[in-house]
Amino acid sequence: MELNTIKDAFDRVAKRQKLFSSKSQEVVDQVGHEIEQALAKIQASNDPLSPIDLKSILTELKLKLNTMDPLHQLEGLQKERNINLSKYPKLLEKSFNPDISKAYRNVDFDFHIVNQILASHFYRQGLFDLGDCLINEAGEPEAIAIRSHFLEMYQILEALKVKNLEPALNWITANREKLKQNGSTLELKLHRLQFLEIIQKGTKGDALSYARTYLSPFASLHMNEFQKLVVCIIWVGKLDSCPHAELMAPAHWEEFTVELTQHFCSLVGQSSPSPLSVAIAAGIEGLPTLLKLANVMAAKKQEWLAIKQLPVPVELGKEFQFHSIFVCPVSRDQCSEENPPMLMPCLHVLCKQSIMKLSKSSSRIFKCPYCPTEASAAQCRQLYF
Amino acid sequence: MEIDPLPNGSGSVGTTIPEAAATTTAATAALKTTPSSKLSQLTESLKLEHQLLRVPFEHYKKTIRANHRAVEKEVSSVISSVADVADCNEPSKEDAVLNLTSLVSRLQGLKRKLEEGSRTENLQAQRCRARLDHLESVDAENLSEWNNVRLKRILVDYMLRMSYYDTAMKLAESSNIQDLVDIDVFQEAKKVIDALRNQEVGPALAWCVDNKSRLKKSKSKFEFQLRLQEFIELVRAENHMRAILYARRHLAPWGATHLKELQRVMATLAFRSNTGCAKYKVLFEPKQWDFLVDQFKQEFCRLYGMTLEPLLNIYLQAGLSALKTPYCYEDDCTKEDPLSQDSFRKLALPLPYSKQHHSKLVCYITKELMDTENPPQVLPNGYVYSTKALKEMAEKNNGTITCPRTGLVCNYSELVKAYIS
Ligand SMILES: [Zn+2]
Ligand SMILES: [Zn+2]
Repeated sequence: MELNTIKDAFDRVAKRQKLFSSKSQEVVDQVGHEIEQALAKIQASNDPLSPIDLKSILTELKLKLNTMDPLHQLEGLQKERNINLSKYPKLLEKSFNPDISKAYRNVDFDFHIVNQILASHFYRQGLFDLGDCLINEAGEPEAIAIRSHFLEMYQILEALKVKNLEPALNWITANREKLKQNGSTLELKLHRLQFLEIIQKGTKGDALSYARTYLSPFASLHMNEFQKLVVCIIWVGKLDSCPHAELMAPAHWEEFTVELTQHFCSLVGQSSPSPLSVAIAAGIEGLPTLLKLANVMAAKKQEWLAIKQLPVPVELGKEFQFHSIFVCPVSRDQCSEENPPMLMPCLHVLCKQSIMKLSKSSSRIFKCPYCPTEASAAQCRQLYF
Repeated sequence: MEIDPLPNGSGSVGTTIPEAAATTTAATAALKTTPSSKLSQLTESLKLEHQLLRVPFEHYKKTIRANHRAVEKEVSSVISSVADVADCNEPSKEDAVLNLTSLVSRLQGLKRKLEEGSRTENLQAQRCRARLDHLESVDAENLSEWNNVRLKRILVDYMLRMSYYDTAMKLAESSNIQDLVDIDVFQEAKKVIDALRNQEVGPALAWCVDNKSRLKKSKSKFEFQLRLQEFIELVRAENHMRAILYARRHLAPWGATHLKELQRVMATLAFRSNTGCAKYKVLFEPKQWDFLVDQFKQEFCRLYGMTLEPLLNIYLQAGLSALKTPYCYEDDCTKEDPLSQDSFRKLALPLPYSKQHHSKLVCYITKELMDTENPPQVLPNGYVYSTKALKEMAEKNNGTITCPRTGLVCNYSELVKAYIS
């Protein structure tokens, strides 16, 4: 898309309008000026002004204004400007998609649900006053359950910003078992951050005692890490020459923040990115295809609203692939529980129905459509993705 | 979604909103791997932004027209006043001075109005320009921040259409995107909507007068609907004589084009507002006013070149349709899928399922796409995981594999690669 062309077109509109606007003011000035002059003449003349003189001044003014024809003076500029004014929206319509609602299904989109999603989204981002404001203004009767969780999360994150690890530690301790199940090493990472803070700001003694109390429980499981940390004590006071100075990079705090957020969301049953952001991002990627599709279907007089499945794929980035979809290369069908994918002895995969067809309902040996190997239906086994 | 560690140097993201960091890295990672497809996608998505440019332009045009009308009206009226004074048979000096002085001050008033109007025009032109610049500003580096802003724009649009003005303004101000959203345009709608909710048609009728030519062009019958409602209110108040007068004056002109509706409404004169006759009863229901509000919103959106539906609904529907698979409604749908949540599932119910022409296999363990570089491997029980996940598991456990879904234990050497075409 040529944004520059559009910009130029707009600049032309704005320039013409500026011209027109200053010309309008000029014209108003001219008229005012003529009237003022006539007025001055009337007032300057000696008393008593004969009615004929007065009449002639007024008539002269009238004629002057008539020959001046101020509105006519504007016409030329007005015409040019109007052409630009009507051209520009046409250019927009040509360069952009003027109606992106063509693929919209006019179903009742329950706005209560939408409002709840929006409020959760704001809470998810720590924008609690916005979420509350929306709930109030929309008069949503139901409070959002997830609010309190996110409130706790942001208290932890706020504290992290000022390098206060205590709320994080409390939460980690309270959820130690669940975090362990998820394979998280948040607790070690937290103590590492705290320890390195002491290394940078405290004494050798402080560092040593912290390591003894809090790092030693991790010594056996994370031997390398543990040794690397403890050895740093030697360089307290001259950390520049410490071989592990990299450990003290501020990026570790950011990493910790991100990781903690992920684990927190996961434990309260939420995804780490806001689901609203994900759905909208998918919509923005998918909509151009859907609009083309809706156009084609409209041209073929097919009913967009009636379809149960989109007739063509809407390609989304791999960050939007959440489910394994197996499409049988023979039948082009999407597999389902009733028609699962089957692995043939040659390690090619087809759907069950295709195998049934090829084997004439398991009655005979058949050749794989992709290699010379022969197989019987009984040799094929179901796959679970 | 797999989250890469923060790239060094991009320090500003991540600290305030961790999610932003997560999406940034994911987005930049995606961008690095397939820059051309991501960028062509971006171009495609920019084409969806018609409304962003059209609405401020319509607003600008409206101001221009109003200013122009003011000049035409005042100047021609001043000129004809001058003619009146000049044509007066026996002019007196005092009268002439008085008249001309008042004309001069009228022109001065017009001048002030024009200066003010021109300032408004310039501000609105700047806004049009700012939006063009905003569209142009997107590139690979600021893509995720730009996308965040786009989401906010979409949310503000939704809230304005739903009349959640406070929240809309709060969001716009706190994100500093006032130039990119149409709060002032919607202020104009708010006056009309508030009045209609109070069962007053005045501001709506005034709005119709303001936009007469454009409403006529689109063959709108909104004004007629407003008039009908006023008529109904007169009948409700049993003010029959006034109702008839009103009909003669305001409804009759629509007879040529909307005779049927006119007749139906006129027939209410024979009924009382508590009529049991369903055909007429409905005309007296208060929800007729809600209908007028909806009708107004549609006319308003059409006039400004907006979609009739909130952008949010349009994008949400598209996104949910593209994401919707039969698996989404199963219990084990991953949390990362918006459709794992009840709210999104409900919204997606009436939407079509997505379609795939080619297999897309996602590893249950790593959630990564399995492809030729990271091919799927089959356990003896038929469960499939990515090579990457299984290799890692085997390395950690001396070559032993434990199926996370069935608990089956086997050896890495027992796995076979599946060929997916
Ligand atoms: Zn084969
Ligand atoms: Zn799902």
